[in-house]
Amino acid sequence: MPEQVTLTVPLAAPFGLVVRMIVSGVAERAELAFEDMDDLQLAVERLLAEARPEGRVSLSFEFGSGYVRTRIGPLPERGLAEALQQSGHTPGQITLAWILGTVVDSYGIEPSSGEGIVVRLEKLVKEQA
Amino acid sequence: MKPAASATRTEDRELLRRLHKEGDVRARERLVARHLPLVRSLARRYAGRGEPLEDIEQVGAIGLLKAIDRFELDRDVSLATYATPNVVGEIKRHFRDKGWAIRVPRALQELNARMSSTIERLTARLGRSPSIAEIASELGVNPEDVLEALEVGSAYTTLSLSTGPGEEDGDPLESIGEEDTGFERSEDRASLEPAMAHLPPREREILRMRFEEGLPQTQIAEQVGLSQMHVSRLIRKSLVTMRGELD
Repeated sequence: MPEQVTLTVPLAAPFGLVVRMIVSGVAERAELAFEDMDDLQLAVERLLAEARPEGRVSLSFEFGSGYVRTRIGPLPERGLAEALQQSGHTPGQITLAWILGTVVDSYGIEPSSGEGIVVRLEKLVKEQA
Repeated sequence: MKPAASATRTEDRELLRRLHKEGDVRARERLVARHLPLVRSLARRYAGRGEPLEDIEQVGAIGLLKAIDRFELDRDVSLATYATPNVVGEIKRHFRDKGWAIRVPRALQELNARMSSTIERLTARLGRSPSIAEIASELGVNPEDVLEALEVGSAYTTLSLSTGPGEEDGDPLESIGEEDTGFERSEDRASLEPAMAHLPPREREILRMRFEEGLPQTQIAEQVGLSQMHVSRLIRKSLVTMRGELD
């Protein structure tokens, strides 16, 4: 049965470290490799950077055998959904969609119960030989 | 050289001559007063990094005093030019000396310092990125200690904007004395390309390798001759800079 960790944090910058610690703790429990943990932290940081620096955001982490699924929201919809749905890549450009596509195995947008959107990130746990 | 600057330089040289040839300590005081605005200007660039601005200014003033006392009259350089690296150097030493000691227990500092080489060793031995449990086992500590030490390293980098122990890197503080680029936060979140042009070439290359070639950090680290942890920090810092989040 998958485990779940949920937290709600202020979006103020000092809480960024709290989120990083939680992400790394979850990654350790899910047995993600160090580099994959770092990737997940980066993905979460980039998404949080898209939110306004006030208010609160919730993060939920679900991890079972072989994956960590992270949901972050509500995030402001304005422009973010469109940016995340961009496909294709132009050399020399680093887009948010391209960053997420590089550092997590999959991501998607889910409706939020209130305003904004929830972004889902999925990271697979690699087999340790 | 503008007339005003030329006059300032001439007056400075006269005061320096009186100090060095005649031992006139009042000339030193006047030189300090004349160049304190320079110290304040340099110190302000380090504000908000965990140290009170007044403390940074005082440290910078020590650098100014050293520059005044060490100035050689036969050198064809202005005191401001000569003093700038002295002031910056003094501030950098202050951050290096105090950066860890203020906030982090020594055991965590030492664990963080051992982390980078341990990860590299394990990556080479296992042929993949190690798990936190494997790093902890190698270091003989708990996984929680590893996580804490990793975040401590991250916090140190953010606060001091200097390199961690045992790491070879161009120090961001070295860029002091240059004009701030002052990136404006891009309204277009679809592309960070314009901001990328402001990054140093090495950081641009690391981003290119990570996000265009899709290389893992371990391979990038090998190619650029840094540790994986350092590559990770540079990627994070570059992305933050590009979004203008440090402004």
